[in-house]
Amino acid sequence: MKSLKASTNITKTIIYVVCIFLAILSVFPFLVMFINATRSTFQIQQDSVSLLPSKYLASNWAVFKGKSFNPVVGFVNSMLSSGGATLCAVYFSSLTAYALVAYSWKLRQPFFTFILAVLMIPAQVTGIGFYQFMYRIGWTNSLLPLIFPAIASPSMVFFMRQYLMATLSLDIVNSARIDGAGEFYTFNRIILPIMKPAMATQAIFTFVFSWNSLFIPLILLTNSKKYTMPIMVSLLRGDIYKTEYGAVYLGLSLTVLPLFVIYFLLSKYIIAGVALGALKE
Amino acid sequence: MRNKGVNYAKYGYIFSIPFVLTFLIFSLYPTIFTAVIGFTDLRGMGRTEFNFLKQPFDNFVLILNNPTFRKSLGTTAIIWLMNFIPQILLSLLLTAWFTTRRFKIRGQGAFKVLLYMPNIITAATIAILFNSLFGYPKGPVNDLFMRFGWLDAPANFHMQKWTARGVVAFIQFWMWYGNSMIVLIAGVLGIDPTLFEAAEIDGATSTQIFFKITLPRLKTILLYVLITSMIGGLQMFDIPRLFLWGGPDSATLTASLFIYNQAFSGSYLYNRAAAASMIMFLIIVVLSAALFHLMRDKDEAKFRKAERLRIRNAKKQGELV
Amino acid sequence: MKRNMRIVVSFLLIACMSFSLFAAGQTEAAKAPARKVINLWSFTDEVPKMIDKYKELNPNWDYDVNVTIIATTDGAYQPALDAALAAGGANAPDIYTAESAFVLKYTQGDASHFAAPYKSLGIDVAKKLKEADIAPYTVEIGTNTKGDLVGLGYQATGGAFIYRRSIAKDVWGTDDPAVIKTKVGPGWDKFFQAAEDLRKKNYAIISGDGDIWHAIEGASAKGWIVDDKLFIDPDREMFIDVAKTMLEKGYHNDTRDWTDAWFADMKDAGAKKVFGFFGPAWLINYVMAGNSGGTKPGEGTYGDWAVCEPPVGFFWGGTWLITNDKSPVKDAVGDFIEWVTLDSSETGLQYYWANGTLNGPGGTKDTVASGTVMKKSDGTLPFLGGQDMFDVFVPAGAFASGRNKTQYDETINTYWRDQVRSYSAGNKSRAAAIAEFKQQVADNLAIAVK
Repeated sequence: MKSLKASTNITKTIIYVVCIFLAILSVFPFLVMFINATRSTFQIQQDSVSLLPSKYLASNWAVFKGKSFNPVVGFVNSMLSSGGATLCAVYFSSLTAYALVAYSWKLRQPFFTFILAVLMIPAQVTGIGFYQFMYRIGWTNSLLPLIFPAIASPSMVFFMRQYLMATLSLDIVNSARIDGAGEFYTFNRIILPIMKPAMATQAIFTFVFSWNSLFIPLILLTNSKKYTMPIMVSLLRGDIYKTEYGAVYLGLSLTVLPLFVIYFLLSKYIIAGVALGALKE
Repeated sequence: MRNKGVNYAKYGYIFSIPFVLTFLIFSLYPTIFTAVIGFTDLRGMGRTEFNFLKQPFDNFVLILNNPTFRKSLGTTAIIWLMNFIPQILLSLLLTAWFTTRRFKIRGQGAFKVLLYMPNIITAATIAILFNSLFGYPKGPVNDLFMRFGWLDAPANFHMQKWTARGVVAFIQFWMWYGNSMIVLIAGVLGIDPTLFEAAEIDGATSTQIFFKITLPRLKTILLYVLITSMIGGLQMFDIPRLFLWGGPDSATLTASLFIYNQAFSGSYLYNRAAAASMIMFLIIVVLSAALFHLMRDKDEAKFRKAERLRIRNAKKQGELV
Repeated sequence: MKRNMRIVVSFLLIACMSFSLFAAGQTEAAKAPARKVINLWSFTDEVPKMIDKYKELNPNWDYDVNVTIIATTDGAYQPALDAALAAGGANAPDIYTAESAFVLKYTQGDASHFAAPYKSLGIDVAKKLKEADIAPYTVEIGTNTKGDLVGLGYQATGGAFIYRRSIAKDVWGTDDPAVIKTKVGPGWDKFFQAAEDLRKKNYAIISGDGDIWHAIEGASAKGWIVDDKLFIDPDREMFIDVAKTMLEKGYHNDTRDWTDAWFADMKDAGAKKVFGFFGPAWLINYVMAGNSGGTKPGEGTYGDWAVCEPPVGFFWGGTWLITNDKSPVKDAVGDFIEWVTLDSSETGLQYYWANGTLNGPGGTKDTVASGTVMKKSDGTLPFLGGQDMFDVFVPAGAFASGRNKTQYDETINTYWRDQVRSYSAGNKSRAAAIAEFKQQVADNLAIAVK
């Protein structure tokens, strides 16, 4: 018994050492980023990694503000597009997953296989013609093309389906029916609350991805009133000959702050974890 | 579980409409478009019209015979394996640690939250940061190694093919293991807890429990992690591009980067780029199918077959009545 | 969960091609009369800021300017610009700018048919060019294959050799540019002799092989493409041997340009003290002054620099302004373009630019394309110990040539320098490096290599 306890303690120590090491590794780039936001461009060019803050925060902010765009507008646009995309993805993926779990319909299995196939289409293929299409329907300089495609997020549907299989009891659905609730009402009022933990987890993934995406917005949004935060940071990098690194890092830090807030708000669901069922059951 | 009321079947269709419509508009159309371009002579900036080739598969043949493309496929596979194997092992290990009932790890919540954090930062920032970390002739890693006496003179890491690949693989690994871990933990939490209890009563060690109970029941979720990671790995693009632009000497030139270069590095070979991405698509489909096949649940297949039979019989009986 | 979605964009250009199919009808409809809007596309806010100044000077020029800025660093500027040009219509760019790395595509290459000749903008090109004495290489680059001038810049980016006064005194007993230019040039043989002199006193002549490349590239007689085939000019081929020799003999600190170690060499923080850098005036303003470790003479290396003629002539960087041939507001655009590129008066853009007075006094001085403006401007810099940099940079513009450029340069240079590095690091043989280089050009650009 004693040796078992000793070995448990050794294992536990190893676990703590590994976890603490990984945690430090996780925090490190953020630290470098925040510290560089307080350093001047030339300090950064000399040593891009430093753990000593400097005193150029104000002047970096002046450079950032002195550009021909407004960081506040960028923040609002980023919020709208990422928030919109996340809502679309989370709501409609839950709805599709519910359709796959709660109803038995003829094309259910083929449809699920189809979703798995969609998952496999590489992004580089789906992107072909996307821009062209947006141009044709006049959706350039609009946040809509950043929001609506999120409705079809196959990987999230898969995740939600597995979650529903583990947690959904059809008795709830049936008793709601007996009470005379419509199907749509049942989904919105009874099923969605059950799915909250899974939705929160997936919301973090989607929000992070959408918030950081640069290329599609960069091409679609050419009007400075529509710029998102990453576009503004990218513009700070301007051209290779003259890059305001201090302001770039400040911009990156500002970009990541809202993500922090959202992430930590939703993190209780990551801590608690969500339960995903296996295929059968 | 299975009799869900036939009357409600139409809602299954109705609730799937938004997904299907969005997919058709935003994904299917562009996909078909690419496939078509692959069979044409469309190249050169500003070209508006294109003709179908007399030999429809010319672009595909050219790409398949392109030594750089072949090399890039190998590079992609190598870097993916270098990042995926440690990634899945570490996230499984962490999953085991965080879900086992034997060790009550304190600060678990904080660890989970922190370990996911590398995923929040943009790939561009990370790539540039690592480029500086491994700087030559002076850079933090070189300084550190020299201080510890591991190196006598600064090493030109950016010129070492395997170091460069290792760094790219490491970044990819480090950005995504937290994500995989969260999904895998979710999978473990979905396993019926009575199974673990029973095993514990039978005196199984936590290692046994993990391999005999947890892992087999994690199959579906593992498959999901495998497939998404494989697709992500085959599309690896911005880290290799921003870290060393595919260098040194094409050591980190991935297939996606190759495709990008076809279309963007000066000759605008759209038709070849399209052909190359269709080839990539086929490779992904084949590999995914293989994964599905390898990890398919034999019991489930049987179960489904039986189910189908049962429904058919039920229908027949219904017709008879 | 879709990782690396950015790859999506890899294909935007395919997209761009095709939507012009659909947009073709739109272009005609867009010719609304008396439009008072100008669409300007650029990759920094330099040119957009000039618009503000121009409006201030010309209140009657009452056009609204819609500015689109897309950085070149993420590779998005050209795809987006190409798309907008091909699409046409009311939102098409009227003025767009191009950087030296890709300007040829828009003046002589695949996208040159979009560019309007300056003469169609109401500019008396021949007279103005002569009057302003524009650096010939900027004209060469801005002239299309039919011989019409379609693009001009405002900067002159002819390069010089920027060296350390104290090191020059230690090695040759003088820091006089007139003497030092005879030590480091003309020609590479003299340069390597100087490198040897410096090495004996434990100095590096340059920081890394990237420094010398711009000069070698700019001085070669022919560009990478001759008769639609890859051509390796003997001068450029020599680079592979030079790079190896320099590394083996310790003539430089083996840094890579634009990395920490390269910047550090500007303030003596590297392994050996570095004697000099090759570069145009902007390298001093944007990069070296800030990285010298000081802000006034006596601090760091600030004030310990001087410029002299380089062993061979070259230029590096610059921005060209181009007009869309389909623009409905050509006259208004022409007025602005003429002010930026060809006005050599004291209220012309270039005069403000040269003297650093565009945004009020005390700004950064720079060399400009007009020799006439240069003559009446003062390029004295405390960073250079009080030397008038224009004395060196103006003739340097005349050495430079635009004839050896192609639209593939950015890509081909990357492949070439990568292979040269592999060879000099001892990772492969010379023949293997050149063979791999040719293979890369053939595979990625579909250019015949032999």
